[in-house]
Amino acid sequence: MSADVLRESAPPPPWGRSVRRWLWLTPLLLTMLLPFFWMVAISLAPHAGDSLARALRGPWDLSQYRSLFASAGVGRYLVNSAIVAVAVVALNVITAAMVGYVLGRRRVPGERFWTLGIVATLMVPKQTLMIPLYLVLARFGWLDTYAALILPFAVDAFGIFLVRQYVAALPLEFEEAARVDGASDWRIFRDIALPLLRPVLAVVAIQSFLANWNSFLFPLVFIDSDRMRTLPVGLALLSQSEHSVDWGFLMAGSTIASLPVLAVFVVFQRRILAGMLAGSGK
Amino acid sequence: MRRARAAMAALATAALAISGCARTSQVREVVFWQFWPLEVIQPIVQRFEAEHPGIDVRVEQLTWDSGKDKITAAVAAGRPPDLCELGSTYMPRFLEAGALSDWSAGVADLRDSLRGWDMCRVGDALYGLPWVLGTRALFYDKTLFARAGLDSSRAPETWAEVREAAARIQRLGGGVHGYGVSLNDRQKLFKKFMPYAWGNGGEVLSARLDSCRLDSPENLAALEFYLGLRALGTTGLQDALDKEFKEGRLGMQISGAWLLRQIPKEAPALRYGVALVPRPAAGVGTHASFAGGEVLVGFKASQRKEDALRLARFLVRPDNALALAIAAQSVQPATVGADTAAFYRDQPAQATMIRQFATARFTPNHPRWDEMEEAIEEEVEQALFDRKTAKQALADAHARVTALLGR
Amino acid sequence: MRTHSRATAWTLLSPWVIGFTLFGLYPFLFSLLASFTDYSPLRGSDWHWVGLAHYRRALADAELWGALRNTALFVVGTIPFTTAAALGLALAVQPSFRGRTLFRVGFFLPSVVSVVVLSLVFKGLYAPNGSLNALLAPLGLPTPAWLQDPVTALPAIMAMDVWAACGYYMLIFLAGLEAIPEELHDAARLDGAGAWTRFTHITLPLLRPTLLFVLVVNTIRSLQIFAEVFVMTRGGPLGSTTTVVFHLYEQAFGRFELGYASAIAWLLFALSMALAAVQMRALAGREEAAR
Repeated sequence: MSADVLRESAPPPPWGRSVRRWLWLTPLLLTMLLPFFWMVAISLAPHAGDSLARALRGPWDLSQYRSLFASAGVGRYLVNSAIVAVAVVALNVITAAMVGYVLGRRRVPGERFWTLGIVATLMVPKQTLMIPLYLVLARFGWLDTYAALILPFAVDAFGIFLVRQYVAALPLEFEEAARVDGASDWRIFRDIALPLLRPVLAVVAIQSFLANWNSFLFPLVFIDSDRMRTLPVGLALLSQSEHSVDWGFLMAGSTIASLPVLAVFVVFQRRILAGMLAGSGK
Repeated sequence: MRRARAAMAALATAALAISGCARTSQVREVVFWQFWPLEVIQPIVQRFEAEHPGIDVRVEQLTWDSGKDKITAAVAAGRPPDLCELGSTYMPRFLEAGALSDWSAGVADLRDSLRGWDMCRVGDALYGLPWVLGTRALFYDKTLFARAGLDSSRAPETWAEVREAAARIQRLGGGVHGYGVSLNDRQKLFKKFMPYAWGNGGEVLSARLDSCRLDSPENLAALEFYLGLRALGTTGLQDALDKEFKEGRLGMQISGAWLLRQIPKEAPALRYGVALVPRPAAGVGTHASFAGGEVLVGFKASQRKEDALRLARFLVRPDNALALAIAAQSVQPATVGADTAAFYRDQPAQATMIRQFATARFTPNHPRWDEMEEAIEEEVEQALFDRKTAKQALADAHARVTALLGR
Repeated sequence: MRTHSRATAWTLLSPWVIGFTLFGLYPFLFSLLASFTDYSPLRGSDWHWVGLAHYRRALADAELWGALRNTALFVVGTIPFTTAAALGLALAVQPSFRGRTLFRVGFFLPSVVSVVVLSLVFKGLYAPNGSLNALLAPLGLPTPAWLQDPVTALPAIMAMDVWAACGYYMLIFLAGLEAIPEELHDAARLDGAGAWTRFTHITLPLLRPTLLFVLVVNTIRSLQIFAEVFVMTRGGPLGSTTTVVFHLYEQAFGRFELGYASAIAWLLFALSMALAAVQMRALAGREEAAR
């Protein structure tokens, strides 16, 4: 029997404790929500410019959202963003699990060197790497294609480092038990380690989706044509005019753009809860 | 199943035929990178394509904030667009690097019909075509003028009148300010302060761009005038001042034509006027202002230089530049005499912006101009925050600009 | 205990090797070499070696030192707060209670929106007559022009960063907390250990790898703080928010001096590396002990 079942069948938490927790968490929550309130309010009041006071006075309507979806490109931008985000997330999760695991279990000679080297790649500001990366993509003929938006970001040092740190803290016992049973290295990774890594891979997925969904500079520079644009770049172009920003339009777009990230978070944060015990139950 | 395959085959054949046609009729593709929304620029480009059946223009839009990064990367990789719009502030570095095609011969006949050649000239050679221009003028709130007992039908024309009007509006209180002094805005402060200096006969560089002229009494008087306005108003960033103005709480400020587009949308009730930048005194100095603009350029690495020039010449034609300016509403055509167009006869504020060009100054085409402008802004900023006296700030700016000239 | 076979280990490592070879190696070498040349992207192949000139220039660059000071202030002034807030939030929303998901989502919400949009929102909030001052004024509190005052501009950006980042690191701590077996807590409870004792003796030691990750990653990220500055202040007022990467960006794309910008980048790299090494030494030794 798995401990997870015990947890699932535990009685729901008592109301008293929950209410006490709400009392001190709610003010914090409101502080976190205030800027969103600003964003949504501005998106609903088309003549407010960037003034919250005027936005609250109204009149309110959905015209910014209507003009957003009436813009020719927005549907296409959403599809492009989704294709890129899903591909990058999938590649990130797989590669972070593989590399992070092998480093966390110190199964590679010179593990310290590899880990430090991987973390070190995060330390060079990307502003200086953009032009040479552009030259690489130009050489491969990948500019203005999905490849330019996906492949350079398929292996992510953040995710690898995160998984490595997580694995370092995991007890070895399950893997050792499997090895005693004669399981192969590959089977241990696939059947024992991967399920144990589920919580951290959920975090990798969320982080990777977030980073790519909101990514601006590289997609802007690597993509020329309108039909290949991703949502953040498309929104920036649609809301810009010289010396000013169409605030309502941009905020409406940003509100819409944040919904998929929110959905991904809600889905994957449950995976974090599933925890190692769910994995061990198998 | 078989039918589907047959359909596929037919489609493939059709596709081949179409692409084959395209190849045999030799349509030449010209890549054009620019900053305007596609719905503004496409109709103009489509007219060009209709006139030139052999040319297919691929228009891509850039962002104001990061467009330069993209152009830079493309130039570095040797795949620049064939035709590109560059802001006048970008021009000196691109000219210095020698990346642009020399259009001297191809545009010689347009010399008298466009203004803004300073933006793209090195010696006698021309490396672009001025397309649309922008300048700064005095915006004033007629309601506040009337409330302060001033003649709201007449804008201040001299420094003394500005001070007088600002002081009276400032005394109204209740969050109302007389004059908006630009603060630490990169590439904006310069455009608010230097008009007064130029109007007073001040200069940044000598005509041959080989020595600094900043530490002159004319510049000092202008800076002291500008600093004095702080006590008769408020200080703020461009967008904050614009916002105060739209909300009817700012008597006067120097700003740009983008307000002409924003005000009808965001503050339709605002009663305001636009006037030339005030000069030192009646009969003294000029109504000088800052001028900048958008230049069309081609790159040496382009494979379609002639078609690019053809398209550029088409875009700067008076009717086409006017079409862009009307759609964008924040710039004016570089065409000489554009203010006589029917559109501007009904648009007094826009027409004022065009008249302002006559006394407006383009910035010098020195390769290190951006660093000089930054040095001036930083020193003026020191004075605005009372960290330095006007005299000290100008002397330090003078020293920094001189050092940049020497390098 | 038999170790993994070499072949499996290398297979598992291979994605990194391939990815780095294709997309990392050339850019890193390029920027390292460029730092010793006068390379300009606009001139392309017309470049010359300048030796250590850019590094010498960087050490004498007063603006860079100012930027370094601002960046150091940013790192020191945000990371302790972000880490503590993130850990606190994670501990608060880890145990089961009604409405827990709502709070988790709420605290994570700031991470959902791009930094550029968040910065635009905060620019509006911080405006002289913006929403923040509208809240402070009735309370009789000072209402400075946050982003236009050289004293308050950097702290205002730091406050925004703590606010925006703590939900993200909360998530990472949450995952770390889930890896700590509940039985350890149960056993300690049986021994009569209080909540604080369990936190310092069980949670904190076992959370060390996660803590190390959060500290290292947040330090690297904060040393490269750029987008907030680019959108909100452009380095002003009086250079009080000019950070190292903002300065570097101006050199690279304002003046096209990619060679000099690369030299600054590699100096920042050396600094990041030194800090990460210190952090790893301080925490990783114990990580070993905790296993």
